[in-house]
Amino acid sequence: MTCHCSRREFLVRGLYGVGVGSGLPLLLGRTTAALTAQALQGTSMEKHPERILVVLELSGGNDGLNTVVPHADPAYYRARPRIGIPAKEVLKVTDTFGFHPSMVGFERLYKDGRMAVVHGCGYDHPSLSHFSSMSYWHTGVPNAGEPLGWLGRVADDHLDPKTRNLIVDIGTAQSLAVRSERHSPLVFDDPARFRRDGTDAEKQVLAQFGSDAAASSNATLDFLTSTARNAASSSDFVRQASAAYRTPVDYGIGNAFGGGLQRVAALIAAGMKTRLYYVSYQGNAFDTHVQQGDVHARLLMYTADAVRAFLDDVARLGRAGDVAVMMFTEFGRRVEENGSLGTDHGTAGPMFLFGARDRIKAGFYGRPASLTDLDDGNLKMTTDFRSVYATAIKEWLGYDDTDVILKGRFGTLGAFA
Amino acid sequence: MRRLLLCLGLGALSAAVLAAVPAPSASLPWADDLSPISAADWNVERAAHLLERAGFGGTPEDVQRLAAMTPRQAVDALVEYSRVDNSALPAFEESGIWDRGMDPFPPSRADAVRQARERGEALGVKALPEGSQRRLQPVVDKFFYGLRANSIETQRLGVWWANRMLTTKRPLEEKLTLFWHGHFATGDAKVRDYRMMLRQNEMLRRNAEGRLRDLLVGILEDPAMLVYLDNGENVKAHPNENFGRELLELFTMGVGHYTERDVREGARSFTGWTNDVLDFKFDRDQHDFGTKTFLGRTGPLDGTDIVDTILAQDATGEHVAAKIYRFFVRDEISPAVRSELGRSFRNSGYEMKPLLTRIFLSKDFYSAPSTATQIKSPVVLVISTYKKMGLTALPTIPDFGRLTGALGQTLFDPPNVAGWAGGRSWITPATLMQRGNLFRDVLFADARTFRAPDRLMPATYARVGENIAKGMNITEATKEGTGDAESNQQVDREEDYNTRYASYRGYLMAFERTKAIPRHVADLNLTAMVAVAHADTADAVVDHFAKRFLSVPLAAKDRAAFIDFFRGKSVASESDLRELLYLVLSTPGYQLS
Repeated sequence: MTCHCSRREFLVRGLYGVGVGSGLPLLLGRTTAALTAQALQGTSMEKHPERILVVLELSGGNDGLNTVVPHADPAYYRARPRIGIPAKEVLKVTDTFGFHPSMVGFERLYKDGRMAVVHGCGYDHPSLSHFSSMSYWHTGVPNAGEPLGWLGRVADDHLDPKTRNLIVDIGTAQSLAVRSERHSPLVFDDPARFRRDGTDAEKQVLAQFGSDAAASSNATLDFLTSTARNAASSSDFVRQASAAYRTPVDYGIGNAFGGGLQRVAALIAAGMKTRLYYVSYQGNAFDTHVQQGDVHARLLMYTADAVRAFLDDVARLGRAGDVAVMMFTEFGRRVEENGSLGTDHGTAGPMFLFGARDRIKAGFYGRPASLTDLDDGNLKMTTDFRSVYATAIKEWLGYDDTDVILKGRFGTLGAFA
Repeated sequence: MRRLLLCLGLGALSAAVLAAVPAPSASLPWADDLSPISAADWNVERAAHLLERAGFGGTPEDVQRLAAMTPRQAVDALVEYSRVDNSALPAFEESGIWDRGMDPFPPSRADAVRQARERGEALGVKALPEGSQRRLQPVVDKFFYGLRANSIETQRLGVWWANRMLTTKRPLEEKLTLFWHGHFATGDAKVRDYRMMLRQNEMLRRNAEGRLRDLLVGILEDPAMLVYLDNGENVKAHPNENFGRELLELFTMGVGHYTERDVREGARSFTGWTNDVLDFKFDRDQHDFGTKTFLGRTGPLDGTDIVDTILAQDATGEHVAAKIYRFFVRDEISPAVRSELGRSFRNSGYEMKPLLTRIFLSKDFYSAPSTATQIKSPVVLVISTYKKMGLTALPTIPDFGRLTGALGQTLFDPPNVAGWAGGRSWITPATLMQRGNLFRDVLFADARTFRAPDRLMPATYARVGENIAKGMNITEATKEGTGDAESNQQVDREEDYNTRYASYRGYLMAFERTKAIPRHVADLNLTAMVAVAHADTADAVVDHFAKRFLSVPLAAKDRAAFIDFFRGKSVASESDLRELLYLVLSTPGYQLS
């Protein structure tokens, strides 16, 4: 039979004759975890153990049409007479598409051959709710109650849970995208404050919280003690790496987002073993219902500045060839502008991939969504976003079982060399 | 076939593993039982649990008062709070930052500039004569003043509310207001008008234990919400769906019970519902009086019809009751409890008091899965600690807003319209450490090194002032970065004004015109506290702190480590006691209520 199982499943099945599916009760998942970790040891099947994937989230529903502007399409200007980006201002990179004028950083990345744009990304039966749609992008399983994040499942299936901090999420709260059954993602916002305060005697007592790992009858208490253990073992490294980091690269003034990427660069520079990084905008920043022109321009500028700086920074560190970036949003916006110089929630939008010139095949992928053949005023998606996930998983990270991780078969784009 | 066999095998295996623990009915006898607990089952622990959840906890004396009552009396004492005189609480004292020229406040800096170009003035400030250098600078300065002053005033509002939570005689009133603030989440970062935020807060408090309909109508006519969800822009010709969608998805029914068409028809019904600065306004010219079909009802519906149609749905009672349950009881709600609470909530005409009374009296509320299983929100964590310390005024060193903000919760600024996700989402490795550290800042507060955030200018802007003082011109003084980033080049590209200089000026003006938050450290006396409790040995002090502050038993290993830590220290030393209390408040278990 063809095995649609993950490598972990395969190993466990081979060794113990028992399959471990992802819909398993957590209890059982844990009991097999120890066995699996043993099985993983000494069986290095990683094609690219040095490769890092950084995922960037533009929360709030980025207006894709004003980001990657179809400057040769009259339908665009008909739908957006007041907020459309005039063709003469667009940073044109092809005869038909170009970037918002504030995205000078992206124009440079594109022209340097370090960037791929995927047209029309979305999914069937799209939800126009921020929260539902974002959870679909986070889990990679639209219109279902999947409890784990897609990056969490990548880690569950391929990364050894005995190695700490293989997933890092920069933020004040953990994203569903990194929720994992076997890994505890390291989540922090300000590395300088990632520490226990106190005298040496106090710290000595504080350091042992949770050291006796005996499970209690209170699952929430167990969750807290295991988090305390993780914090105690990781905080010094992260804090020192971040404090020591100096870079001449200018990340611009979009502090939170650029700052997050700079923290990632600091950890890469310090040799952190993290394979999956997650950085997001806070508070639905891209939800531009009203007067979107200025605020959207500013957000795009911060974004382009930060991504361009980050890629330059990792190149400076000599790690350009090991780092790829993927950027997404939970939906694009309505094709037609609304009455308040803004746009309402929509469906498909572009996704972005970045990497070193000799790693990524720069250019545009997928078919542009039609601006005239619409579904109730919204774009019909042309690329299932999970094809882009599959591309990152298979072509970049080198894991072939994308259909297990993504719970469905999705082709890849051929975007990585 | 292979799959099927595997599943069966796994099922058997899971059953075997589960069988190793006692059957749920034996270990969790009261879970999901909504019948009231009897007076015979009432005790100090249960009274403490009630006060933690229906309020912000309290001192052993506060708990004892409730424990001495019957369960019904104790619940009534909290729920029937309108009988309690609370008039001693002070009203918010405004600084008076707003002048008439600032209304309506421009939506963006660029918009203020546009107005100034067209009319020669904006925000009540005139542009300089044509030909002057940076002729729009005063307008942009005023715009940034408005932003900064409003942000400071909103910080003051947060301190005012936190003080209410700490000192109120009606703890459930403030807890409910906090619940509704998260439910009808509205953030000042977008509203940019503390006056609207204050009015909304008062409206939520006024209706907190009343009827859901009054809250819904109140919030749908609330200027802060109308601005937050862009309903001022929801006009006949171009309906804006933000408001109609969140009303259905978040405020009332939850996803899955309505269609996209209902969203659009709902939005049409709310066209013209807008605000004239601080007042609700129905704009007839922008209202769509046409026929709509919403959740099966057809007619020339308006916003109130939409509310009443929503209230007629089963989904509404269940969605809102379940959210209240999750806030006050526990994260998981069983389908049976959900449907029963939803049904009775709807049948009561969506009266809050009977629902709350039933929940707080139920055996389920006192069952094992409901006690010491809730992770405190940052606001509850800080306020309840102050309550347990017996404080009667909110410490402002360290700053309350900064403490809770660092943990992911700022009053008047929820992360988005869905409010705070709560539960385990509060906890990351970093916030868990911070949740301990903040109490060191409280217990060892240092007024000399404290920097008040309401008087703090970010370094970028402070540098502008330093550079100007050194004699640089505005262009030189506002340079930052190496110049690669587009955003750093734009600061001074505009000839008519310099944004970074304006931001610096705005801060200075805001500091001048806002009242400073009075700063003082916690008025805490642990020596007296342990003396009253007759705790005169290391063991006794550790046990007293654990009993007074923790909802879970202290782990034996931690207890031993604390006693060991206190060896050689003295119960008569305030700083020794504070070091010990810091450790107790830093335990993972202290996050639980």
